[in-house]
Amino acid sequence: MKLTHMQIDALQELGNIGAAHAATTLSTMLSANISMSVPEIKMIDISEIYKYVGDEIAALVLFQVNGEVKHGGYLLLYIPKTSVVRLTNAMLGLTDVDRELDEMDESALLEVGNIMVSAFLDGTAELLNIIMLPSPPQLVIDMPHAAIESIIASQESEDIDEIVLFKTALVSDAHNIQSSIFLFPNHPMLEDIIRRLEELLNPPI
Amino acid sequence: MSLMPAGNDTAIIGIGEYRVGSMPMASIGLGSCVGLILHDRQTGTGALVHIMLPSSQGKTDRPGKYADTAIEVLLKELIRGGSSPSNLIAKIAGGSAMFKTFSGNLNIGERNVEVIRKILKENNIPIKGEDIGGCVGRTIFYYPKENGKLVIKKGDGKLSEL
Repeated sequence: MKLTHMQIDALQELGNIGAAHAATTLSTMLSANISMSVPEIKMIDISEIYKYVGDEIAALVLFQVNGEVKHGGYLLLYIPKTSVVRLTNAMLGLTDVDRELDEMDESALLEVGNIMVSAFLDGTAELLNIIMLPSPPQLVIDMPHAAIESIIASQESEDIDEIVLFKTALVSDAHNIQSSIFLFPNHPMLEDIIRRLEELLNPPI
Repeated sequence: MSLMPAGNDTAIIGIGEYRVGSMPMASIGLGSCVGLILHDRQTGTGALVHIMLPSSQGKTDRPGKYADTAIEVLLKELIRGGSSPSNLIAKIAGGSAMFKTFSGNLNIGERNVEVIRKILKENNIPIKGEDIGGCVGRTIFYYPKENGKLVIKKGDGKLSEL
């Protein structure tokens, strides 16, 4: 499947809206400004995923997206390990940065993930008039590539050769926290999103 | 992007890809996928393949992606390069289960390993080292010229050697 420039622009707009909603909630939780990158949208072959997500340990909060489109895809909040400690500390008013991740960080991650991802999907739903609901989150603290390839492989019947990478970075300079939101839409969901976006851009007369 | 105890001459083998030769080879972040090495003890050459699924279901466009076609294509290329099947040994790493819930097949890692074992057995290739299963990611480095050494870096930070 090849995306046209217009489709990429439309998806970028969708990502902007979702990420802006997520950034607002993160900003409230941290009482700090959050800067947001322009969403990156690319079709990538599975053999090249390692060029975009590596094996440096990070926290991944993962949601399956369901709704009008079944098994729509996955939304993923990605936070590098060092940022996780700073995130928990900022939320709970702690100061010790030189510590291992523990249950406290895990609950903070699940909480932040839930709130941000719900906000992301609320934002995109408003634009597209489509209901997308996140599953309960799963937390993995491991190599991002290993997690993502496992998700792709688990959709065995789809036998995926390429994925749409949809990534926005959200950064808090005040707390030095990096995070990214990834969306991996499955083909039926991608097609549905693109159709709705095109209708928005070119409303039927 | 990722920490690699490897030089620029290391070939990175992505999902569904394979390489045959004597240069160092690596696969980054194996989850349910399996890194399979066929090493020729005589010549110091070998192959690394990054297998994603157990069965090709008759597809031929990406032989390295599926356990059944991957072993077939590696054997063919190694034999064409002068290897004798009786000199070959195998090592496997990966095949973990990173997630507990979610719909979809969650035991792909296990099934990948199962099919690989079966096909290696049919071809009389012994498995001389394995680090499989669990719920952890692995990055692997294969050094054909160093007796087929396989270095494994795990998601929990542990390094090991097969």
